[in-house]
Amino acid sequence: MDELDLLKKDWNKDKNNYPKLSYNDIYKMILKKSSSIVKWIFIISLLEFGFWLAFSFALKGSAYSNKLDELNINHILIPITVITYAVLIYFFFLFYKNYKNISTTDSSKTLMENILKTRKTVKHYVIFNLATLFIGAFIGVFYNFNHNPEFASKLEIASANGEVFKFYAIIFMVTLVVIGVVIGILLLFYWLIYGILLKRLNNNYKELKKLES
Amino acid sequence: MNKELEHSFVELLEKHQNIVHKVCHLYTNNYDAHNDLFQEITIQLWRAYPKFRGDAKFSTWMYRVGLNTAITLYRKSKRTINTQDYAGVEFKIKAEDYDDTEEQQLKTLYKAVHQLNDIEKALVFLYLEDKDYKEISETLGISSVNARVKMNRIKTKLKAILNP
Repeated sequence: MDELDLLKKDWNKDKNNYPKLSYNDIYKMILKKSSSIVKWIFIISLLEFGFWLAFSFALKGSAYSNKLDELNINHILIPITVITYAVLIYFFFLFYKNYKNISTTDSSKTLMENILKTRKTVKHYVIFNLATLFIGAFIGVFYNFNHNPEFASKLEIASANGEVFKFYAIIFMVTLVVIGVVIGILLLFYWLIYGILLKRLNNNYKELKKLES
Repeated sequence: MNKELEHSFVELLEKHQNIVHKVCHLYTNNYDAHNDLFQEITIQLWRAYPKFRGDAKFSTWMYRVGLNTAITLYRKSKRTINTQDYAGVEFKIKAEDYDDTEEQQLKTLYKAVHQLNDIEKALVFLYLEDKDYKEISETLGISSVNARVKMNRIKTKLKAILNP
């Protein structure tokens, strides 16, 4: 008899004294709230969608937005806004569809894949927003180079002092540092939140994949 | 209707609760954690219950939801990291009562199983529950052949622990 058969013999004996929960004990349990990672992923994802939505609204009321209005480029801004909201709706639909697909009655591997897929949708949405933000920032800087009189006068002073290179270098560095800080904060957020939340799932998913390779 | 559903669910779970206790026993190492996981599995079972169709056995369906909760959905709470290994307590009592080889072997075996990773534990659990490789592979989402290969590796691992 091998070791597991010895264990099996003991396992199936009814002497293992597990607690015996009553009907009422179990009934109380079904009224309580879940603390599963799926619930947390759902909450955090909604916060992420909410954050970017709030961010776009905040931008609309800002001095930056007033400046854009002065430029009279509505023919560009309106399509961009429409696209941004269409993308938001698309990602949210995808997220909700994936979320609904998560079922504990699937096989462990499918369940893990569906959870990771839901997560990935939100991640892609955040990447889309970051990309838009950075492209926007660069277009802004580029536009200032060409159209902003304040900028032009500063550039003139710099060139009079023979510091044109320094002037461009500073602007480039400042833009880069700001982008770097934003990415850094987001990475830290992701690393902390999802690293902790999905550690177990990721390890077990890797283990299952290893079995199949 | 909802009350009826609640009633039938609670009654079924009360009857089959040992399956959930066994999963908890395997994946936790103290009473608080055991209760915590039991609570979460119960919630997940209850949520999935409206979709449960009578064509599957309630117990078979429980294995899947229970294991999935333990290895995927459950987040260990702070309470689980603490103190005493209750499996150890059980064994100490046994060891004092009987001191024969089989009991010693069982004690070591249970400890060894507790040291396996989550997926290995799931395989061992289903094996101990007398499930065939088809059901084991379907529950975990791996091929039957791979389930068998992994099971053999686990057996070898356990043998090595038991006979160093």
